[in-house]
Amino acid sequence: MAKAGTYDIEKGRGSTAASLLLPATIFVAIGLLVPIAILFRYSLNAFVPGKFMVDAFTIENYVKFFTDPFYLSVLWRTLRVAVFCTVACLILGFPLAYVLARTQTRFKNLLIIAVVLPLFVGNAVRAAGWMTALGNKGFFNAMLMKLGLIDQPLEIMYTENAVLIGIVAVNLPFMVLTLQSVIEGISRSVEEAAFSLGAGPATMTRRVLFPLAMPGILAGTILTFILAMNAYATPVLLGGPKFQMMGPLVYGQFAQQNNWPFGGAISFILMTATILLTMTANILVQRRYQTR
Amino acid sequence: MTLDERFWGRVALKSVASLSLGFILLPLVFVSWLAFFKQEIPSFPPEGYSLQWFEAVTRQKNFVNGFKLSIQVGVMATAIGLLLGVPASLALVRYQFLAKGALNTLLLAPLVVPGVVLGTSLYVFQIETEIATGLPFLGSFWGLVAGHTLVVIPWIVRLVTANLEGTDRTIEEAAQNLGANPWVTFYRVTLPAIRPGIVAGALFGFVTSFGNLEMSLFLVGPGRTTLPIAILQYLEWKIDPTVAAASVIQIVLIGVAMLITDRYVKLSRVV
Repeated sequence: MAKAGTYDIEKGRGSTAASLLLPATIFVAIGLLVPIAILFRYSLNAFVPGKFMVDAFTIENYVKFFTDPFYLSVLWRTLRVAVFCTVACLILGFPLAYVLARTQTRFKNLLIIAVVLPLFVGNAVRAAGWMTALGNKGFFNAMLMKLGLIDQPLEIMYTENAVLIGIVAVNLPFMVLTLQSVIEGISRSVEEAAFSLGAGPATMTRRVLFPLAMPGILAGTILTFILAMNAYATPVLLGGPKFQMMGPLVYGQFAQQNNWPFGGAISFILMTATILLTMTANILVQRRYQTR
Repeated sequence: MTLDERFWGRVALKSVASLSLGFILLPLVFVSWLAFFKQEIPSFPPEGYSLQWFEAVTRQKNFVNGFKLSIQVGVMATAIGLLLGVPASLALVRYQFLAKGALNTLLLAPLVVPGVVLGTSLYVFQIETEIATGLPFLGSFWGLVAGHTLVVIPWIVRLVTANLEGTDRTIEEAAQNLGANPWVTFYRVTLPAIRPGIVAGALFGFVTSFGNLEMSLFLVGPGRTTLPIAILQYLEWKIDPTVAAASVIQIVLIGVAMLITDRYVKLSRVV
């Protein structure tokens, strides 16, 4: 860095940088890292019914989770739902992201708002929309019955299908926005080059666009996977009380059972499973695209 | 390759894109539609249309109080977030120092830590704080604000740093050469230049706070719920045009905030 600027360390203003940065850093560190550490410590405590939480140093809560078929089935279902939703988001999201990235219309900002707005409106409101559409007397059943395609309303609400539909719709904007920003950075001319060398749209997409967009695909996939693993409102409202996923399970342990150690353990298992799978995907994709 | 192939490729692309845009918007369309139904049961086709449910919402204490609380928490969290986030962004962009990348990641981390994990860990943290200090923290207004500030900061840092990276540093140097001290330079030169980033960061932060559900579930106290939680609890019980009307109010509020933001910074650049 050349001459002295407003904020230059050469002028011995390193302490200014620290004082600017410190408040936010301390706030986030205390608000994020310390609580997660405490949660982990709680998960090693014991829970005695009637006596609440008892100080201990045991992995009992983790053993309980992994030896009980019920909890394992909840973890398994959560993984299945998350993988399905992530793949669906990628398939549905890529074309929309591409169109948004390449469009020339004046309405581009409105299109972006149309994608961003649902994201900020919150999951409960969007679940309400699906409840209206998918219920026994809802829009789709009423329509299908009117068209004479079915006699009995289809049971969509309070099934796994409803939850899948809900989570895909919730996560799609995240995927689209992540992909769109990466595709915008890919020059149009590489696509044209592929076309002029005789590639069709499908070949061009597979051989040129996908490899170039891989960082975005990875980032979007990871983000939607994390969100799907941790979904709360959608499974609660669209899946009904009997449909259990990890997010609602954690909340139940804390709010209804008051079993903080076990709730903490489930929370940690959820976080670890998410991080492990995310990292595996990251390594696999990187290896594949480095050797080429 | 034939031009025909490219034509059909285009058609396929556009149809899947429209399908997925429709899929994203569909729930909002349905919930808005329901808010204007005449009858209370959400059955199709509607028997008629009415505006009575928007009046019914104002009689639902949970929604009214939830709305007030959400606004208060959102405003406070955004204000504190700005006080912490804007200086941090300045340091992140204008200085070179050790572990800069790590600090940047830390400040953006609350955005990717899942709401349930964030909620549970803040819950136990506030319990521990209560035990240590004897002050009622869990379920209090400020406990909720602290949690929301945590999710507001990443948006402010993200949007303000993006804005700062695009501003010309030589103007600040010119101001200094002309005799302005650092404070004057900041107030008269830097601040006007990053105003769009601050406005966008504040609005995004507010909207994130306003719509936050998962984390807030763990932090609200008895008789103190935010609007999204009030909506969730109502929906667990039943769906009717009243809750739909409450949803519409939320959609409109956030939509307006987005349109205002878009006037300051192009949304396509920042999200």
